[in-house]
Amino acid sequence: MKTGKRSFFQTLLNEKDKRWALIWLVIMIVVAIWNYLFLNKPALQKVITGFINTFTIATLVVIFTLMLGWGFTLLLHYLGKNKGKTGYMAIMFILNLLRSIPQIIGVLLTYIAIASLITSGAITSSLFLFPLMAFSMSLFIVNELIDLMRDRIDHFRKLDFYNAMQVCGIAEHRIINFDILWKNSRIHIFNKLISVFGSAIFLQCSVDFIISVGLSTQVNAVTLPVTLGSLLAKIDSKQDILAIGNTLTNPSYLPNLFFGHLLGVTVAFLIVFSLMCIYHIANGYAERHKL
Amino acid sequence: MNVHKFSVNVATPDRTIVSIKDYPVYDNHITFLFGESGIGKSLISKALYGLLDTSELTVTINDIPYADHLKSKWLTDSRANSFFVFQEPSSHLNPLMKISEQLNEGSLDCGNERDILEYLWQHSYDDTLDTILDVYPKPYRPSGGEKQRILLTMAFKKIQALIDQNDRDLSTYFVFDEPTGSLDNRYRNLFLRLLLDRYCKRQFTAVIITHDYSIISEIYNQYKSLVPYIHFKELSRVDTTEVRVDDFSADDYLSWLHSSRWSTVHSNVQKKPVLEFGADFSIFSRNLRIYQDKEHTQPSPLIIDKGSIVYLKAPSGVGKTTIAKIILGIYKADSFSMMLCEKKYSQNTHQSVWAKRVWGKQAGMVFQHADESLDLQATVKETFDGLSTRMKNDLDTLLGQLFAPRTIEAIRHKKTALLSGGQKQRLNLLRTLALKTDLVIFDEPLNGLDFANVKKVLELLNQLRMNGTAILMISHNEEIFEALIDEENILYLAEVT
Repeated sequence: MKTGKRSFFQTLLNEKDKRWALIWLVIMIVVAIWNYLFLNKPALQKVITGFINTFTIATLVVIFTLMLGWGFTLLLHYLGKNKGKTGYMAIMFILNLLRSIPQIIGVLLTYIAIASLITSGAITSSLFLFPLMAFSMSLFIVNELIDLMRDRIDHFRKLDFYNAMQVCGIAEHRIINFDILWKNSRIHIFNKLISVFGSAIFLQCSVDFIISVGLSTQVNAVTLPVTLGSLLAKIDSKQDILAIGNTLTNPSYLPNLFFGHLLGVTVAFLIVFSLMCIYHIANGYAERHKL
Repeated sequence: MNVHKFSVNVATPDRTIVSIKDYPVYDNHITFLFGESGIGKSLISKALYGLLDTSELTVTINDIPYADHLKSKWLTDSRANSFFVFQEPSSHLNPLMKISEQLNEGSLDCGNERDILEYLWQHSYDDTLDTILDVYPKPYRPSGGEKQRILLTMAFKKIQALIDQNDRDLSTYFVFDEPTGSLDNRYRNLFLRLLLDRYCKRQFTAVIITHDYSIISEIYNQYKSLVPYIHFKELSRVDTTEVRVDDFSADDYLSWLHSSRWSTVHSNVQKKPVLEFGADFSIFSRNLRIYQDKEHTQPSPLIIDKGSIVYLKAPSGVGKTTIAKIILGIYKADSFSMMLCEKKYSQNTHQSVWAKRVWGKQAGMVFQHADESLDLQATVKETFDGLSTRMKNDLDTLLGQLFAPRTIEAIRHKKTALLSGGQKQRLNLLRTLALKTDLVIFDEPLNGLDFANVKKVLELLNQLRMNGTAILMISHNEEIFEALIDEENILYLAEVT
């Protein structure tokens, strides 16, 4: 018997993840309106492109991480039944190798490879470029998801759950895919994917920033799509960021930040605020589902 | 006799969890409370005892807010002289405090526990008891049965204090939630004897939540003079949230028990062994042997013919579930020999052979804990979807064997997690029965069921046997299965030292 539906506001008050998702959306709309009114058109176009590119690549990273993670987990599960076998050892070696490389270094190296493909003319379309960038990034993130999924399978294998289903003649692929991963772990997996989304934005911005300030001679901002990270590294944005520092010693300069330095302030705000919201959404989601 | 009647309602912000009207608490009498798992026995008892957390739950007692109930004279007076023995002893004990200290903590600092401990352990107060009392509780130290007896000792200290005070006016309300769940029959009877002996010295109010119907026989056989002071009650479901309390007829149970015996299958089923399991086997470096007598003098292989049932008995922890798991290839024994449906198996047989030939085809098993063995996130319908036997149209017929038609409609698309413990157990049984295998192993099939469903399940098992299925029964409900099964079909498992 239901004791009455909770109101929309009660839900937002009690459920931190939904509250922060709404806060993010509302603030993004406010920022968009403000920029539409006060930012010059070419700069506005760059911010919009950078925002869309960054979030599109991050979304693709999530999709690739999920596909790779699920695939590797199944592969390791079936090969792991005979742990001495070459296949299991080879995959574990590759995954451990990827794990040993710091994510930011790994992404930087793959970006160098992608840039050389662009300059050699092997990649011309962004339709192919975006998935390639996302795929290379997901290679260095996927271990987190594989660890989670393998932990979930191990947990259920220790219970009678797995044995009871097996002796009922239920196919092993159904137990693993449907009963363990889908029915009993999708909340955990989704929570991890929210973090992966945040990591993808952070990694992109960090690597784009490193590339844009010229740490690599192989890669430059011209060869790769515009993202929030590369926008932040541009000279205009740097001056805008410096203006924030100036405001600390000269508070009367504050109003200029929202008119004269809008490009850099907006990009920096989009990155920092989005990452903060994703952090709160992931935490709230974990709390709501008691993970 | 004074009776307090309570209407209890417990709800979350989304739904009502349990609601009951006129729940009786009999002053200075002992009430045994039966009912299927998850129906709300513990929750109602905790609500009355003032133990529920109102930050997550809305609780009303007799339509007054919970805060007022907590301040009520009945509760404050009763709690001062009483004790609540929780179902799960591990969660009751403080892991960072020695057991000897916990036995004297707070209001338990009221006398000596030595006599009680010696009685419940049937041991003089020597190094053995000292060792147990001198540890910090950990998951496997002391054992579950020992932890349960430690909690009972705490309750009996409070009872002893009550006797020592010699004040007949003091109000009491003791709750024992599954106090014998981890005890074998011997210790169960010791608990009962101590409880009723103390009751004779000073009457007190006690509610004992249990699924162990054999307590009834024990009381009628050993303590008949106390029957007027004892109530047997059963909770049953009115709808999804509302429950009611009825008298449980001890006479009905006893007459059913004495009139029930499964006849031997003669006519329509040919006598043919489905399972032959060698008397000696070893696993985890332990040597185990099956005997045909309780004195453990005559080793015997475990042979189950088509249409027959064998009841395997052993004290807790000896390896009854282990042998079941060896038969089904889940555990790899160090050595064993077995013929299942005329095929040989041994320690050298690869597990894939069981997967191909046995699981879901020749043999099935109902596991002990329905909560662990079912996918709680799947719906009732999905529970049957992955079985090798397709049963899209037969699902209603199958469920109809243990569920009422109205219930089937209500639960078909419901998550298993939302079912009561008894409903989960019935689903657990039906999933295996749907397979129609030659051999079915039942590990504690009556767990969490109320008496009406115990009878239904036993009827179904008998029908299964009559239709030619070989059954291996593992259960601590000795009284019921000894009444049903011929002596010659009872075997005993023991460790060879």
